[in-house]
Amino acid sequence: MSLKSLTKDWEPMSYGFLDASAKREIRRKTLKAIAVPGCQMPYASREVPMARGWGTGGLQVSCTLINPKTTVKVIDQGADDSVNAASIRRFLARVSGAPTTTDTLKADLIQSRHRIPEEVLREDQILVLQVPNPEPLRPVQPNMSIARQMHADADYGRMWLQLYEQIVRSGRVMQGASYPSLVHGRFVMTPSPIPRWDVPKMHMAKHLTILSAGREKRIHAVPPFTRVEPLVFDDVPYRVEEHGDLTCTRSGAKGYFMNEIPQPDGTSTYEVSDSELGVKTIRSSEGETIDIGQTWYQNGEMAQ
Amino acid sequence: MAYVATRGGERAIEQSQRLFREAMGDISADRIQEIRDAMPYLIDRVMGEASLYDEDLAALALAQAGGELYEAILLLRAWRTTQPRLALAAPVTQESLFTHRRISAAFKDIPGGQVLGPTLDYAHRILATEVLSGDTYVPTPVDPAEKPAPAQQPSVAAWQAENGLLTLPQADAVQGNDIPDVTREPLLFPAKRAHTLQSLARAETGGVLALGYAAQRGYGQAHPTVNELRLAEAEVVVTHPRGTRFSAGRVKVSQAEVVNKKGEQLELGFAATMGWNEVKVIAAATLDLNSDGAPKGSATEEEFFLYHTEGVESSGFCIHFKLPHYVTFQSSLDAMRDAKAKKAAKATTPEPAE
Amino acid sequence: MTAHPIPSDFETRTNATYDALIWALSRPGLVRQLPMPGQANIVETLVDRECAVHTGDDMLADVARRTGATIVDPDAADHLFFGNAPTADLLGILRQGTDMYPEEGATLVLPCSIGQGPKLRLTGPGVDGSLEIKIGSIAPGFWEKRRAVMRYPMGFEIFLIDGAQVIGLPRSTEIEVL
Repeated sequence: MSLKSLTKDWEPMSYGFLDASAKREIRRKTLKAIAVPGCQMPYASREVPMARGWGTGGLQVSCTLINPKTTVKVIDQGADDSVNAASIRRFLARVSGAPTTTDTLKADLIQSRHRIPEEVLREDQILVLQVPNPEPLRPVQPNMSIARQMHADADYGRMWLQLYEQIVRSGRVMQGASYPSLVHGRFVMTPSPIPRWDVPKMHMAKHLTILSAGREKRIHAVPPFTRVEPLVFDDVPYRVEEHGDLTCTRSGAKGYFMNEIPQPDGTSTYEVSDSELGVKTIRSSEGETIDIGQTWYQNGEMAQ
Repeated sequence: MAYVATRGGERAIEQSQRLFREAMGDISADRIQEIRDAMPYLIDRVMGEASLYDEDLAALALAQAGGELYEAILLLRAWRTTQPRLALAAPVTQESLFTHRRISAAFKDIPGGQVLGPTLDYAHRILATEVLSGDTYVPTPVDPAEKPAPAQQPSVAAWQAENGLLTLPQADAVQGNDIPDVTREPLLFPAKRAHTLQSLARAETGGVLALGYAAQRGYGQAHPTVNELRLAEAEVVVTHPRGTRFSAGRVKVSQAEVVNKKGEQLELGFAATMGWNEVKVIAAATLDLNSDGAPKGSATEEEFFLYHTEGVESSGFCIHFKLPHYVTFQSSLDAMRDAKAKKAAKATTPEPAE
Repeated sequence: MTAHPIPSDFETRTNATYDALIWALSRPGLVRQLPMPGQANIVETLVDRECAVHTGDDMLADVARRTGATIVDPDAADHLFFGNAPTADLLGILRQGTDMYPEEGATLVLPCSIGQGPKLRLTGPGVDGSLEIKIGSIAPGFWEKRRAVMRYPMGFEIFLIDGAQVIGLPRSTEIEVL
């Protein structure tokens, strides 16, 4: 054996930034995550050249999946142009040479923070969601090892109790984003801080979703055609944000999740949160031939 | 026209970095050398928290980050993670360390003697303001002792164990590549001993201090006595693929042993880190001393302090709150407004007649 | 820096293998293509010194050893590779993880003949309704044993290899022998 056999030829940076051992760790753990939908798999999350909490978990999954032919889309809060999305997109392109796109339909791999695009994802697409806190039980149990035992026992009583108390106190479930959801009838997961609007898009979807928390070192996944059911009581149905009737003042798109823009006169206007859908809507109304995919919501209602 | 200027974000982040770097000016080899030579304790702290022992890289990271410690450590950690593991160094024992400073608060004198070594502990903290008016501060040379202190010193805990005051921890039989590495596997609880010590070794100094101090003030059950504090250099002994064992050099290390009376025995807390960082190892050893049987969710519980003293994670998460959160905020607003409307509707609806 | 790193052959091959595996496991029963036939690629893609591996044949053992993995008996392995179909009894001793740590369940890779042999009906996550496949050259009683020994979320994953074709069967898949 020689030193040379132990190491590899020097290169300024590994392809996709991560070294082979980091990639194998991600590969092993994503496979297990897919095998047990919604179950948080601990993994050896590597440090990457980005601060923890800024998408390092999603980035490690993307860096493992990527090859020079992977067309990548990166969004943050629905927007391709958000500074952090721009930063991650630039990083992915720089370490892989992969082409980038803003068009949901053209993407093979979509890394996203806090949104699922409005156009329906296909069965050849992978959505990587950045996860700040992978533990849905954290509000009722901040201790990770106790929470792990609760998942092992499928002990979700306190989770239900918390929802029940909210209904008693406020007349409704007060959970905003990150709505806890039961996956394949067994594990309660956080869908990451996507709005309630987006959670039904995961249920029996055609695409694969990988949720990765770099700082907390956990990966969970929702394979295609998997039940994702928000925790609700039979007599208090799940409610998405009341955005179905809102219209985007810039693009005219109607019936999608919106950003509220406060106005000096005390009122609000709205802009469609999925920025690329806004772009497409504008271009289309200006007479361009634009391919707008089928959307999950039609006329403000989730299509069945 | 486009809905958003797609290049806008990229331009903005590029220019913001230029603004930041402009303030630091050119980074040259001279600057790196100056930082390295003038600030050994800062370099040590950075190397310890980065868990990467290289003074030049640490100085470079500090220069590149303009002294922003969290940034510097992240730079080093991100570089470190891409490096292959070529070899494993042989374990070092306390008594084998080349010791510069080793003191005990438990006994007036200890086998091997108290060795004060380099410290500012007894200095009067007065700023040398004359330097600002043009004088050069020239440190007074050291008068060497007639007889130098022995370079190798036994551990105080070993003496205590011989005298039946303390049960030394069982030696861990795990060797070499089988030693769990917290950078290669996730930290789970109850933590492996190696993971605990590694995590404390690379923990953020301020975080360890805050929680260690809380334990020292009374939020822990055990009151630490500094059995021994040691600043030393450790030999990095590796094996060449041909089988030759050789020293690849020395690294500065610090370590603390703290003890507490538990019944008829002393219990021991331990911490060590790369570089010389006394505050960190005393605070970390205090946490280690207190962790056994600490209540869940208390500052001295292992899960609590190991998670919350991880500097790259905690600082990253803290600054991530600067990122836009308008989707989550919008989602909360929707629930709030609806709950408010429900309450208002209820208030205006007359009570149904009996 | 303007030029991006160029993937090595190793990177290209393991990336494509992973792509096949991830989709195989995401869509149980659907055939995916590996970049080349055999299991050696899968070893390189998944296994390194962090792993405990069992191999049922010598050639794969060499590949596994080169990764730095520890070679162990089947009951201690996190990854198992077989050149010939193992008996159904093997499934009884495989690592299945625990309720606390389901990820510690093993990954089993074995050869088969896709499109021949008994018909299986698959249901579960990743399957759109139900799916029927034919898998041959598998030990008798294998699927019955799999069903008998696994208690979800504990369990193990199976990759079936036929040349360069791979089918994934996660523990979440219900398999009924028709």
